[in-house]
Amino acid sequence: MPKDPLRTKLCDLLGIEYPVIAFTHCKDVAVAVINAGGFAVLGEAMHTPEEIGADIAWIRERVEGRPYGVDLLLPASAPPSGSLDDLQAKIPVSHRDFARRIKDKYDVPDPKGPVALHTWGGLNQELARAQFEVVLDERVPVIASGLGSPAFLLDAAHERDMVVLGLVGKARQAKRQIEAGVDVIVAQGYDAAGHTGSTGTFSIVAEVAAIAGDTPVVAAGGVTTGRHLAAALCLGASGVWTGTLWLASRESDVDMVVKERLLTATADDTTHSKCISGMTMRVLKCPWTEEWAGPEAPDPLSPPYQMLLSADYIQGANDHHRGDLMTEAAGQGVGFVTSMKPARQILFDVVEEALDTFEGLVGDLT
Amino acid sequence: MGTVRGFDSEMAGRRAECDGGSALEGTRFAAREEYAGTLTGDFVEEGDPAWRWYVLGDLTRAPNGYPHDTVWCEAGNLFVVDDTERRAGGTG
Repeated sequence: MPKDPLRTKLCDLLGIEYPVIAFTHCKDVAVAVINAGGFAVLGEAMHTPEEIGADIAWIRERVEGRPYGVDLLLPASAPPSGSLDDLQAKIPVSHRDFARRIKDKYDVPDPKGPVALHTWGGLNQELARAQFEVVLDERVPVIASGLGSPAFLLDAAHERDMVVLGLVGKARQAKRQIEAGVDVIVAQGYDAAGHTGSTGTFSIVAEVAAIAGDTPVVAAGGVTTGRHLAAALCLGASGVWTGTLWLASRESDVDMVVKERLLTATADDTTHSKCISGMTMRVLKCPWTEEWAGPEAPDPLSPPYQMLLSADYIQGANDHHRGDLMTEAAGQGVGFVTSMKPARQILFDVVEEALDTFEGLVGDLT
Repeated sequence: MGTVRGFDSEMAGRRAECDGGSALEGTRFAAREEYAGTLTGDFVEEGDPAWRWYVLGDLTRAPNGYPHDTVWCEAGNLFVVDDTERRAGGTG
């Protein structure tokens, strides 16, 4: 019997049917994908330890013993400490004025409550530590680090029979994590939503796969179709990490007005900009990003100052569901997200298209 | 579980690069940022499992407008560049 091209070592390691990982902030999406035979990692970086514990319990009750994962954003660097007031005082008047002009021009409403930025900087990683301690205590089957190296917590995780995923944007990060014993490397390309490295998905996946040995590599960045899945496997990956694919799913808790924008967006509707945070990240274009790309705009500030400047706009837009103002992290594969389907159907469509792609290349696989 | 502050004389003065970044508080976003400079040798090690951070100073690369002279770098994301066989920290 011919080998099933979708039955990879990632499937064997995680105990899943299809080598598709959904990265999502929505528990309903995660459960739907897991119960359909894929895998899901719930982004919990924004949540308190108590909320993470509750989410883990909620998922565990609904997946009938199937494995699931939690993603945390372990910090990789931190500036010397400074109070929020100190930091805000350093934002130049010219930048404040520019932000004010955007607010006036687009009638951006005030946030309904205090802007969520309340502490910043310094070597205060207490929240991240409290988050991963919950994940360790709960023996979540898979812990993923979406930013910093998870190497320091490997022993603790492996003692609890947990699988550790590390997301990298450079081959040297992958090499370091593989040598440390990280179980799965997620190689993320420039096409991805949010924070990315500068290397494209095609290049970073092949580069990491070439040095990974027996460690499974997962391709991330711009993956939204079965053809992407097939291509990733051909590059040497054992699966794909997908985020944008699920944002407009039926179960997704993304605001409906943002979903509608996602369904009509193409790669050109995303931008890789520093104007949100001071660091480059890929998001859907919105008035804030467009104004900062204009000839009148000052250069974006460094982190954390640009985030302090943009937070008022972002929260005001979100609090008032202003679809004309809102943005969302979205990858370059967004153009293939064109209808609002159940997550289960999305997964099956991707799998079927990948199998069709392989069949088209090498003939009947069944 | 506590914090140990120390000085690593073997790391002091070494050139290093940091593939840094952090979550953006109050958002779902995070961002990567790169630094290069010279390790002072100062470190802290926090808790169990031990999480080690080094101070990188004399920065020759940092995000545009970065207002500080130093940055804390997590050991697993720190790459000593004047000796490719070395490992920063002990986590790699």
